[in-house]
Amino acid sequence: MQGRQVHPLGSFVMNLPTLPDQAGLATPETDAERASRFESEALVYLDQLYGAGLRMTRNPTDAEDLVQETFAKAYASFHQFTPGTNLKAWLYRILTNTFINSYRKKQRQPQSSGQEVEDWQLARAEGHTSTGLRSAETEALDRMPHSAVTEAMNALAPDFRLAVYLADVEGFSYKEIAEIMGTPIGTVMSRLNRGRNQLRLSLADFAREHGLVGGEHDA
Amino acid sequence: MMPEFEDCTEVLRSLYAFHDDELTAAEADDIRQHLMACEPCLDHFQVEDAMRLLIRRCCAEEKAPEGLRMRMQATYSHTVISIEETD
Repeated sequence: MQGRQVHPLGSFVMNLPTLPDQAGLATPETDAERASRFESEALVYLDQLYGAGLRMTRNPTDAEDLVQETFAKAYASFHQFTPGTNLKAWLYRILTNTFINSYRKKQRQPQSSGQEVEDWQLARAEGHTSTGLRSAETEALDRMPHSAVTEAMNALAPDFRLAVYLADVEGFSYKEIAEIMGTPIGTVMSRLNRGRNQLRLSLADFAREHGLVGGEHDA
Repeated sequence: MMPEFEDCTEVLRSLYAFHDDELTAAEADDIRQHLMACEPCLDHFQVEDAMRLLIRRCCAEEKAPEGLRMRMQATYSHTVISIEETD
């Protein structure tokens, strides 16, 4: 070994558990290799997918079922996933589709339809809405209970709730959200504007009603 | 001096997109310049910042139940052992 030129990535590459054969041509992945790759790359999103599932279904039992079904579907089509592309967004897309196909029908949520253009025009006109809070009062938001936030989230229409969750909690870009939700970017922006305005207004109301910030009842 | 905007309405309309980092560099510069010169708009920006922190803090702390985690791990992680057992 001494004196031999070692590739800088040599030791790293050697430690990889699923290194393809030296033949160069990609050998088909065995089930075991695929499961191993799935475990290390996809299962790490368990908590995040569960959190999103919980916001979608608003129910821990349904959220568990939804996440389990999502992983099962993701695993079944994992060979179609292109390595190096956005795995997280891909998983969220499956989660969203699964939710729409299995759970949303069951919950009989109202569907939005046919008003995408108006929504988008409306969104342009609306923009950011004032909550009436001042930045000097925002420290009070630290005392806000989690339940107040999750309840305000749950009160949003499903499309708005998901868009807001994907943007505000997961930090997905508009383009990624559009891909996950299967809608044009304009629709994403419309849902975000309206959902965010509603959410922020109800959080500000909660803070005022519970005396966390100076409101009309403040001494 | 707030050269690029007719009034604050225009700035507030772009505030979410600015916060989301979805504006072009030039658009974002204009907003930034306005925020540095306009106290009420800066205040809106800071409230929005605090709202995002609050929402993220409350929702990002959800953890999957242990039962689900163990089921998922059991379903997709039998590989290493099966390789060792081959022969």
